Amino acid sequence: MSGTVALRHEGVTFSYPDAERPALRGVDLTIDEGTFALALGPTGAGKSTFLRTANGLVPHFTGGRFEGRVTVAGRDTLQHPPRRLADVVAFVPQDPDASFVLDRVEDELAYGMENLGVDPGHMRRRVEEMLDLLDIEPLRGRSVRTLSGGERQRVAIAAALAAGPRILVLDEPTSQLDPQGAEHVVAALQRLVHDQGITVLLAEHRLERVAGAVDLALGFDRGTVTVGAPADVIRGMAVGPPVARLGRSVGWDPIPLTVRDARALARTLPARAIQPVNASGAVHVELLGVTAGYHGVRALRGIDLRLREGEIVAVLGRNGSGKTTLLRTIAGIHQTEAGEVRVGGRAPRPGIDVGLCPQEPESILFADTVAAEVRTTLNARGFAEDPAAKLHALGIEDLATCHPRDLSAGQRLLVATAAVAAGRAPVLLLDEPTRGVDPEAKERLARFVRSHAADGGVVVLATHDVELAAAVATRVVMLAGGEIVADGDPAAVLGDSHVFAPQMTRVFGPGWLTPEQVAEAMA
Amino acid sequence: MHPAAWIFWVTCAAIVAFTTTDPFYLGLLVAVAWFVYAACHVPGPTARSFRVFLIAGLVAMGIRTLLVFLGTIELGSVVYAALEGMRLAAILVVFGTFNAVTDPFGVVRLAPRRFHEPALAAALALAIAPRTIASVHRVREAQALRGLSTARWRSLPALAIPILETGMEDAVTLAESMDARGHGRGTRTRYRPQRWSAAAVATVLAASAAGAAFIVAATTRTGGLHPSTFPLIWPVASPWLLAAIGLLAVPGVIGRGRDA
Repeated sequence: MSGTVALRHEGVTFSYPDAERPALRGVDLTIDEGTFALALGPTGAGKSTFLRTANGLVPHFTGGRFEGRVTVAGRDTLQHPPRRLADVVAFVPQDPDASFVLDRVEDELAYGMENLGVDPGHMRRRVEEMLDLLDIEPLRGRSVRTLSGGERQRVAIAAALAAGPRILVLDEPTSQLDPQGAEHVVAALQRLVHDQGITVLLAEHRLERVAGAVDLALGFDRGTVTVGAPADVIRGMAVGPPVARLGRSVGWDPIPLTVRDARALARTLPARAIQPVNASGAVHVELLGVTAGYHGVRALRGIDLRLREGEIVAVLGRNGSGKTTLLRTIAGIHQTEAGEVRVGGRAPRPGIDVGLCPQEPESILFADTVAAEVRTTLNARGFAEDPAAKLHALGIEDLATCHPRDLSAGQRLLVATAAVAAGRAPVLLLDEPTRGVDPEAKERLARFVRSHAADGGVVVLATHDVELAAAVATRVVMLAGGEIVADGDPAAVLGDSHVFAPQMTRVFGPGWLTPEQVAEAMA
Repeated sequence: MHPAAWIFWVTCAAIVAFTTTDPFYLGLLVAVAWFVYAACHVPGPTARSFRVFLIAGLVAMGIRTLLVFLGTIELGSVVYAALEGMRLAAILVVFGTFNAVTDPFGVVRLAPRRFHEPALAAALALAIAPRTIASVHRVREAQALRGLSTARWRSLPALAIPILETGMEDAVTLAESMDARGHGRGTRTRYRPQRWSAAAVATVLAASAAGAAFIVAATTRTGGLHPSTFPLIWPVASPWLLAAIGLLAVPGVIGRGRDA
């Protein structure tokens, strides 16, 4: 590290307006220039709030009670609103789509520089540099609305960097990306730190994607922060990538953060026998030669798929490989061009035979309380059940009287899942359920999914989260270019993939999926 | 084409619509706007919003006409209300075309620095409106997959609340993003400033002529801009003014020529 301070927090305590307890409590830390720093911790622990103090969005955009001092490149954020810090800090929010100001990629890259009054000649050169640095030159003339998730994230980073800030702040930059796309983004960030000396600060839940790349970890817990080397901070917290969870449970010290660290520490385990997919349930969902598309894009090509009662099927594949279209087709809301979809022997009736929890859970939440949200579904379907049972199934009975919009991303997902499941459709589809979701909510969702399948239901998850697939799926279907390229037991399919292999498979070989399995075998 | 040329076009087309209730003029104006839309629109969500403006225009016209039936029913007053409604519809169609043919932010960026606050508000509205329209279908589908029908009035909250709240959240994110990227700091420069092309100049001249013709007709009370409905007479149209409206098709003619 060069030793120059990029960001300094001194005794920062902050409460949102009308909040009962502070979101940040006595945060004291400095981040040196050229550091790659990771903020981690459960939802609601203060990560996002902390990130937003770095360029003054907190408190300038939020109001609330702010004590202490934040200085960024020597400027006090209380005296400088975000626009006066735009030349030193750049901020990339979680959903880059909502943050794009202009339509064309090139214009979007130039927008920040226009505001800073950068000389036009310099601006032209700078845009070209950014296009190369983030590897997005072929996208220059495209509309930002037509880009894939990974492309959007890279354009958002390039647009943030173009203005020449020394600090780049990103809120969950890989949450919408497939494993390959996430790797590209993390590698690009690492290059910025190493080659340009830029300070990068990011928040992330999927630690397996970033833990090995960062120099400094900020562990958040109910508004307080622990700062230290990543391995030390992660050891003290309940979270961590699968290799770290394994290390913690078998007592490795220091705990590993990457597959490479873990390999050095691990003894070889015998190959684990791969079970064939248990095919005892009756076939409930049938897709016969299904071809479907949208806006002239052929998203599915001749899909044949039979799903049985009791199965939990993870559908994996790149951004744009047809996962969402497959779910929509099973749900009966997407017109097929050819082929047939049958659920329980007939054409699926949306909401009755098949329920779907959408990618943005908030798009179905509208009631004043969580209990009322679930009751709405029960009433619409004519069930006289008490919502409490459904809330209990997802472990959210304590949220019954909360307003759904006040909840964290993870809690909203659980509420939306309860609201969909209340319709008692035997087939439950979850589209990218773990976006922005902390490990605790993920665990509750996993428990619910298992019990739904155990009761004879069918669960289909479209996801980028290979660790989730490794932990809950009984079967994995891999899509590429609208076709099924692999279908079978998770150990067999994931074990055979370079991109989609979970960490345990990478360390111990095919067959090993979760840290729990490995810890048991090592005991 | 330079966004300022489109601002000229939409202003002059709106002047035409504001100054007349003659069905021939208004009908031709709508046809011309549609032609320009068809020739010049940029594909994308804003282009799709043209249809929404069109529907809004027809609904406004229908409501304006129906309201008359609450009072005394006379053919003259119904026709009068229908013509007023038609004028409203024409204005909406003109703005729908403007919205579809130009990048709304390109226009907002032309705003001088001292109008930074209103420009920000306009940019937010322009960005959020098409996204909100696009989310109607998405939310309706999502609620259906939970077993809720959103077809009835009673279930309107299930559709409206998620759309409005998500729209609000998007607006806040965009406002934050614009501020965090230095919007409103002061001295601005332009990346690839757009040049005034011959097409833009031709559009400005043609549109100005059309606007001027109707202003002259309105001030001199000539050309039958407001056909009498008491007594009800058959409206007439001046060929000169019809030709003036035709001039508004210039950007469409140029746009088509370019595609061919």
